[in-house]
Amino acid sequence: MKRVILLMAIAFGLFAPVALRAQDSNAPKNNIILIKNATLLTVTHGNIEHGSILIRDGKIAEVGTDVKAPDGATVIDANGQYVTPGIIDCHSHIAIEGGVNEGSVSVSSMANIADVLDSDDLSIYDDLAGGVTVANVLHGSANAIGGQTVVIKLRWGKPASQLPFEGALPGIKFALGENPKRSNFSPPPGIEPRYPATRLGVEETIREAFIEARQYKKDWEDYKQKKAAGDQNLIPPRRDEKLEPLVEVLEGKRYVHSHCYRADEILMLIRVANEFGFKIRTFQHVLEGYKIADEIAASGAGGSTFSDWWAYKMEAFDAIPYNAALMTDRGVVVSINSDDAEEARHLNQEAAKSMKYGGLSANDALKLITLNPAIQLGIDNRVGSIDVGKDADLAIFNHDPLSVYAVVQKTLIDGRVYFDRQRDIDMRPALEKEKQDLLAKEKSAAEEKKKEDKSEGKSEGKSEKKPDAKKKKPPTSQSNVGGVAGGGL
Amino acid sequence: MSRVISVKSPSFQLIAFCLALSLAFPLRSQPAANVYAIKGAKVYTLAGPAIENGTVVIRDGKIAAVGANIDVPADAQVIEAAGLEVYPGMFDPITQIGLNEVGAVSATVDARELGAFNPELIAATAVNPATAHIPVTRASGITEVIAVPGIGGFDSEGGGVITGQASAFNLAGWTMEEMQINRQVAMVINWPSIETRSFDFSTFSIKEKPYTEAKKEYEKAVNVLSDWMVRARHYAQAKEKGSPDLFLRDLKLEALVPVVEGKLPVLVVADEARDIRNAVDFCAKQNLKMILASGSESWKVKDLLKEKKIPVILGPTERLPEKQDDPYDKPMTQPAELNAAGIPFAFASFGTSFSRRLSQYAGTAVGYGLPHDEALKAVMLNAAQIFGLADQIGTLEPGKLANIIVTTGDPLEIQTQVRYLFIKGQLTSTDNRHRDLYEQYRKRPAPTR
Amino acid sequence: MKNRFKFRYALLVFMVACIASLINWTHPARAAGAAPRYFAITNARVVTGSGVVISNGTVVVAKGLIQAVGETVAIPPEAWVIDGKGLTVYPGLIDAGTDLGLPKEEPTENAAAGRGRRRAAPSGEIAKGPEDRPGTTPWRVAADEFKTDDKRIETWRNGGFTTALTMPDGGIFPGQATVVDLAGDRQGDYIVKAVATLPISFRPVGGFWGFPDSLMGSIAYIRQVFDDSNWYEQAAPIYAANSIKFERLPYDRTEQVISRELRDKETVLLPANNSVQILRALRLADEWKINAVIYGGQQGYAVADAIAAKKTPVLVNLKWPERAKDADPEADQTLRELRFRDRAPSSPAALAKSGVKFAFYSGGLSGPKDILKNARKAISAGLAPDAALRAFTADSAEILGVSDRMGSIAPGKIANLVVTDGDIFGEKTKVKHVFVDGRWFEVHEEPAAEKPSDHKTDEPPGSPKDMTDGEGVGR
Repeated sequence: MKRVILLMAIAFGLFAPVALRAQDSNAPKNNIILIKNATLLTVTHGNIEHGSILIRDGKIAEVGTDVKAPDGATVIDANGQYVTPGIIDCHSHIAIEGGVNEGSVSVSSMANIADVLDSDDLSIYDDLAGGVTVANVLHGSANAIGGQTVVIKLRWGKPASQLPFEGALPGIKFALGENPKRSNFSPPPGIEPRYPATRLGVEETIREAFIEARQYKKDWEDYKQKKAAGDQNLIPPRRDEKLEPLVEVLEGKRYVHSHCYRADEILMLIRVANEFGFKIRTFQHVLEGYKIADEIAASGAGGSTFSDWWAYKMEAFDAIPYNAALMTDRGVVVSINSDDAEEARHLNQEAAKSMKYGGLSANDALKLITLNPAIQLGIDNRVGSIDVGKDADLAIFNHDPLSVYAVVQKTLIDGRVYFDRQRDIDMRPALEKEKQDLLAKEKSAAEEKKKEDKSEGKSEGKSEKKPDAKKKKPPTSQSNVGGVAGGGL
Repeated sequence: MSRVISVKSPSFQLIAFCLALSLAFPLRSQPAANVYAIKGAKVYTLAGPAIENGTVVIRDGKIAAVGANIDVPADAQVIEAAGLEVYPGMFDPITQIGLNEVGAVSATVDARELGAFNPELIAATAVNPATAHIPVTRASGITEVIAVPGIGGFDSEGGGVITGQASAFNLAGWTMEEMQINRQVAMVINWPSIETRSFDFSTFSIKEKPYTEAKKEYEKAVNVLSDWMVRARHYAQAKEKGSPDLFLRDLKLEALVPVVEGKLPVLVVADEARDIRNAVDFCAKQNLKMILASGSESWKVKDLLKEKKIPVILGPTERLPEKQDDPYDKPMTQPAELNAAGIPFAFASFGTSFSRRLSQYAGTAVGYGLPHDEALKAVMLNAAQIFGLADQIGTLEPGKLANIIVTTGDPLEIQTQVRYLFIKGQLTSTDNRHRDLYEQYRKRPAPTR
Repeated sequence: MKNRFKFRYALLVFMVACIASLINWTHPARAAGAAPRYFAITNARVVTGSGVVISNGTVVVAKGLIQAVGETVAIPPEAWVIDGKGLTVYPGLIDAGTDLGLPKEEPTENAAAGRGRRRAAPSGEIAKGPEDRPGTTPWRVAADEFKTDDKRIETWRNGGFTTALTMPDGGIFPGQATVVDLAGDRQGDYIVKAVATLPISFRPVGGFWGFPDSLMGSIAYIRQVFDDSNWYEQAAPIYAANSIKFERLPYDRTEQVISRELRDKETVLLPANNSVQILRALRLADEWKINAVIYGGQQGYAVADAIAAKKTPVLVNLKWPERAKDADPEADQTLRELRFRDRAPSSPAALAKSGVKFAFYSGGLSGPKDILKNARKAISAGLAPDAALRAFTADSAEILGVSDRMGSIAPGKIANLVVTDGDIFGEKTKVKHVFVDGRWFEVHEEPAAEKPSDHKTDEPPGSPKDMTDGEGVGR
């Protein structure tokens, strides 16, 4: 009987593997939702007390104090709580299977995060519980030129193909400084150290790659020209997966997000980009950005930084928590990011620190995790503020989100509740029971097997390999969360 | 006629009179350098209800008086603190401040010595009083810390079984001698675990080991630890009875003597419920006074901790749950759970550069159910009580060290600034490397090229 | 003189007689060319595998092929008759994923000095990029390396398996997998289809210091290999026709082999076990325009419809996930793992329900006993028994591209049969006879765990023991 129920449950679409910490995404009865009785922090046009938001088909249809819900709408009474735009994490390594870095070679632009998105990564849920709705999922910082990156919405429960943010330009990760030059560890004897070992070489690696990319672009243009002119017997140039993303950078079709720390290396990259005629979209970490804020502002690049991390590496020793505020003062579009699945659970607190360090206003602080990262990722037409026409990506907090006491109650993406704290709490007993039931079932099956084996006089077979269950993500460069490398297939 | 002024002359007498007066009544503009009065603020003593419009008098490094209507001594420097709040300074009881400057640069790190058993090492020996971390940390309202060798964290070095002794000190002073509160507050033990999985750096992959093998290794490790205690007892006995001329000193065993005599507590780092149980069991058998450090799964063994009266120094509230199936908010709700169960606990950063997040960890716990005043105690007082330092720090009471913060508001709230900082009764600047760099680059003129 | 003649004559007769009798004696069952080639299994229940079940029928085997099957069929006079009373005849079972006959790969030392020159470095060198072709040896064919002395061949055969796909291991493109029948006189006899499918692995063979060291690196590498092969496919004929116009094409064995495979639309095996991996494999197969077959498939229960939509076949790994043998008893069994272990055996049923074609493979299980036991788990979890049988026979043959010749009992097909004393999925059922390419093997009961039973040392065939109910040899 239990099996029948189980099979029925499968048939009813519980296909998203769900852990105790997770929940099924909650489809609204219809596509009309009214959130009422809330303090709306719109970010773009002030705070609205006793406000409401009407959502239709996943978009914000109305915002104000006087919004009426049509019949049949699902009503969420916010009871005076605070609604903000969903938080956008501009530096994330969640939902990646099989390694955050293709760290073997100094230019690994052929690798693509979009190929290895893991829609079952619990970090997606953890971050939803912190109010995050969009993440810029990046390759790690092991190489001067790293892999291609992708912006996702944290649509927990959807397959990987439905995570990428539609229409967001793809990105690529660069890294400058200690990590790509591997100054903090060495290979064992017998293995050649990888070039580059200095910041000098990091620059050269990037320039060389773009010189190759320029030539590659030219080769293809020549070929296409000749072909168009009627030449039949042509051998096309080889496709090079490493160089194609770099050509896209040259053509402005792919954003460059560069991990960097020292002021001089930031200026170096601006120079190199100018040399090749492209722009850096964001400087990531950019912990010394405050020293050259004017130059960064002039280059048009955004700065995506930590709230208060410092001193873990030499290049982080001059990091200051005033970085975000000082760069903002000088006209840089600044976001505060997590680089870590745990940090992403309290980005609201991290943004608030810029009020203490540097005196940003509450709204400017909130922008650091909403509108600004949206602008940096080129998606501010869709998300980043509570404005009519934008996606209904929202977070509901029980206190002012810039207070240390605020706790996320609900997180919505495209007008659908993807995280509900109360529902999470309510589901815990049932999930615990399911777990205990399955454990009991396994135990009795194991005892059956023991009896069987005894009666057959069989000896224990050789020990079997651990099963191919899904595993947590592997260690990231800045995080101390342990994990398992990708599946053994 | 001589031009010497005679003592009997009126002008001389006038001058003498004025001089005498000025000696008897010192001018107001020159108060004594070690006497302060903080006036007009809301004072949270943590030893009673908050005092509206209170005054705190500091003299010679200690708190002289606290109250609503107390006289301000004439020689006091007065700090007008209307609209501000006064609290005991915060206490971060597990850090590597002073032992770790830049985590990735091993030359700046003294937290982790070679070898698994180093009970004789004392953190205070190598704390660098000039570390940039001290001004940065105290600017956030932390006035005293304990430096702990060999406990790992994000930016800290961990490893070894008995890693050394932790030292408590104030975050101000020119030398350790001036800073020290208690050089030896606890013996640090990283409780061995049954390791079925380990990370192999040469192949950069997880290595699995069968449980029976891992368990044997664990039991061996515990036996070794137990041997150390046994030998320490023998040593203590021999030292007491033996002749000083013939006695061969063993620094390691000597260091363990106060531990086995129950005088020096052991700070045991353990997270998993099984490890905690095993550690509690071990300490009970060996008669050691145990303090649990980190304790991610304390909530699973509440009854045991309560029964054995084991206090817990909790790791950062903001971390991921220990087990995949744990509720997502377990680390954030755990402090409230322990509080409800009556288990004494305190917050700690376990790090260096994140020490200033101490108030944030406490504040987050409040958001998830810990009462606010308990949270304040957990960052100001409880650790002092747990480590036996409560006679000196932890509350605003006469006789205690004047480690005081005057804030713009709730010290757990993110936006709150520390306006005035007193350590050992000295008004200490909150200037630090970060603010200096900020001021410096704020003034940078527009680029010339 | 007469005596001498008589003597010589007698001697001659005697010698001829000796020789004649020697010829008789040297007519063992195993001499080349002298193996019995005609058999008839009579009075048996015959499960043909193509839907028809004959409750009392006969199967005639002639010269390695099935000559006839039916209720009443003509039996050739020289056929050895095996009484199948109480027995069931099935098509021989196929194990769609093994490394039978292939020597174990030694893990290559990645610590060898890397040189970074652009040349093919199939193993042992540190690859500095795709051009170094890490872990790429698609030209290897399992048939070339297949060794017949692997004891497991006999174990499998005694368990009712007549056929297997044997795959080279190690690397991202380890080589071509071969369909083998599990019996023969010479190595070549075993090989049914030398180039059957191309397995791919996503394993990051670089091992941190070499390329690739991540899953995305492996995928990027495979993509580049397909790019290069497609390029070669385009470029080679143009170059051949215009060799004085272009720079000479470098020789890359991988491009040669893979481009041919793509052209021939050879099936490519992509590894994917959980739902995320399966959906990813389907997407990549689309992108790379390859004829993909998924192997693993244990979370098929979650994504059966998506697989069906792409009409992608699946090789299902029967080594169901289990709790590790010597695991920490206090280690947390996560709900996810528990659910996976609980539901994995229901994947075949789900795949069947959605119309996905699938076959079973042993995936590291130690022998037919465990293989069939785990197949029984799938049946308990909802898979229809005849669907389970198809996954070992007709559907497996189809996926492996040999269904014209095997997978069911029909005239003209290869005589691969297994004869049991009960339902093939029955717990107590024993395998009695196995036919591989028309070679007959009698399976004897072993007291202990399966040991290879060497048929040669037992009684020769045709002994009275085999003739039950007084049936004589021949009619």
